[in-house]
Amino acid sequence: MLTKCVQLLCVTAVFVAVYFPARHARHYDYVTLENAIKEIVLRAPGTALLRSKNCTYRNVILNNQEIPVSKITKTSYFVQPLPGGEYIPRHCTPLIKTAVIIPYRNRTEQLNVFVKYMHKFLQNQNIHYRLILAEQNDTLPFNRAKMINFGAHLAIALNYSCLILHDVDLIPLTTGNLYGCSNRPRHMSSSLDTFRYNLPYLTLFGGAIAILADQFRKVNGMSNSFYGWGGEDDDFYERLEAHKLLPYRFTPELSKYTMLVHKKQPKNDGRFEKLSKSLENLRDGLNTLTQKYSVYLEDLYTKVVPI
Amino acid sequence: MKNGDTDDLCCCEYYDLSNERNHILACLCNCVDLDEAVDNLVKGKKVSDQNKAGLTNTMRDRLRVPWIGGAIQVSFDSLLPVIILPLVFLVSSLSLWWTAFSFTTIGVFILLISNFFVRTIPKTKFFFVWTVTSIVLLYFIFEFVVIPFLEILVEENIALSVLIFGFIMCLYLMKLRANQLIAALDDESQLSFNGKSIEGFYACKICDCKIPDKDHHCVWFDCCISRHNHCLFLLSLFFAIAALLYSSNLTLTSVCHPYEFFKTILLPDDCSDVYFQFELGLSFVSAVYSILIAILLWLILMQQMFLISVGIPLKDWVKLPLSSKLCLGLNRLRPHNRGLIRNWLRIVCEITPKYTPINRDV
Repeated sequence: MLTKCVQLLCVTAVFVAVYFPARHARHYDYVTLENAIKEIVLRAPGTALLRSKNCTYRNVILNNQEIPVSKITKTSYFVQPLPGGEYIPRHCTPLIKTAVIIPYRNRTEQLNVFVKYMHKFLQNQNIHYRLILAEQNDTLPFNRAKMINFGAHLAIALNYSCLILHDVDLIPLTTGNLYGCSNRPRHMSSSLDTFRYNLPYLTLFGGAIAILADQFRKVNGMSNSFYGWGGEDDDFYERLEAHKLLPYRFTPELSKYTMLVHKKQPKNDGRFEKLSKSLENLRDGLNTLTQKYSVYLEDLYTKVVPI
Repeated sequence: MKNGDTDDLCCCEYYDLSNERNHILACLCNCVDLDEAVDNLVKGKKVSDQNKAGLTNTMRDRLRVPWIGGAIQVSFDSLLPVIILPLVFLVSSLSLWWTAFSFTTIGVFILLISNFFVRTIPKTKFFFVWTVTSIVLLYFIFEFVVIPFLEILVEENIALSVLIFGFIMCLYLMKLRANQLIAALDDESQLSFNGKSIEGFYACKICDCKIPDKDHHCVWFDCCISRHNHCLFLLSLFFAIAALLYSSNLTLTSVCHPYEFFKTILLPDDCSDVYFQFELGLSFVSAVYSILIAILLWLILMQQMFLISVGIPLKDWVKLPLSSKLCLGLNRLRPHNRGLIRNWLRIVCEITPKYTPINRDV
């Protein structure tokens, strides 16, 4: 009897260990397509421009369509944006003013594909946007979060109300994925092809993030102390949690992304050590960004380079 | 115990093939076959098959591990897969060239050694141990290397486990039935057949038994396949193929770049990065191994389905000349053929046929 109990206990333990949910990709709560429309934050531009009528965004989301991966690299027509990669729709007054901030270093091929694709993609959404490239030009390991802080600093100075923090190798595949901010910070790239369109863990918060400029300022941006690959997104998630700004996700049918292929970079070794300290790091961020940066207006994007 | 000495064995002692007390350290002494073989080698003569068989048998008998109550036997042929397979997996995960090289080597090695084993030690467990090692190794790699990539959902893992469970249950039942049959026939054949030559019963050298309606002896499952477990054999093949293909698909879409083939079905399209990291390489290699095995099993399944349809047991099919094989065996006398539908019904429905000499149908 006792041995049977022990056996049963062992079998159960093995079962739990093997099928433990945290060992697998996760199912997650998401905002449905209908509710997503209500969650988008719309703001009339401060300077009243006399235009015909306000732009509508309902149909952008409702007429969601998937773009085949094979079409990404095909050159397609888009309206030449203003210098610095800024675009303002002509036929209606945009209610969304977005800065897409792209931390970047030395990925020329991907950047070419990304910038052309994004202009085409975003111009179909009737939003006022600007692509801001934050380029790291020193020889230290890549500091994604710090570059984002530089980009965000400029975007806030230029009065952009919505920030989208975007990796250069991520390409949105669904036309309904509206590049505007929602009431809470939003993880946009939840259905990524290299993750088999699954979510590896619930607090994953890297790739493409939409956050209101006010919220970004409130949590003091991201930490400047994460060099190398990984860790900074988990830290950012904890900052948002600490400020009761719990992020959410939209339905996977709006959130499909593909990753442009590249060689993997070595992981940041001190990643977990930094993560445990992250609450102490809370002060470090936008306001400790003392370094100056120069701004270049390129044809298709604004480039921010720390001096 | 047999020679009347009642002393307990020390941990390094054992009873050898001729029931004599022997010691591990004496493993190279007193071996006539070894002496003869070396003698022949030195003289430049050919070593006879009988000599080789004797040598391998002695080797199996003398390879022992010290144990309480007497040294226990570990036959080297059963141990080989446990050593070879993990080694091959490790080496293959280095680079594409290593993968190609070691998998080809393994293929050639299996062909050569199966020939050798069939001639010298037909009862070897080498092939069955190979099967078991493969299952264990593939499952462990999947659970502890692929799953931690955090890209596979719980239900996908459970679905795979169900397929594997189906395969193992079929395998278990198949072997169980074979053993039951052998046990039942042990008495029955002596009772009923009075030394006459019997049609429909075929001696199996490996099982040491006469098996009714024998199809073939499957060394990989270490089991005789005949009418009483043919259906389970096909089912286990089916489950094995399904589990191997599904696990390799899950693995490859995790470690490679996937694309949506149709709705939720993913297929890999770019695996160029897999050898940069050991875990990725190991997963990739296990997936490639799974696919290769699945292809082999699929060919066997197709052959089985064809042979059942035309009513030729595998053991007869392999003896057919090439010309008959090209005619799909249809030009030969097929004593077991009952027509396409009845052939299949017999396999699927009559899972416990009665083997009494009176109503035996041949």
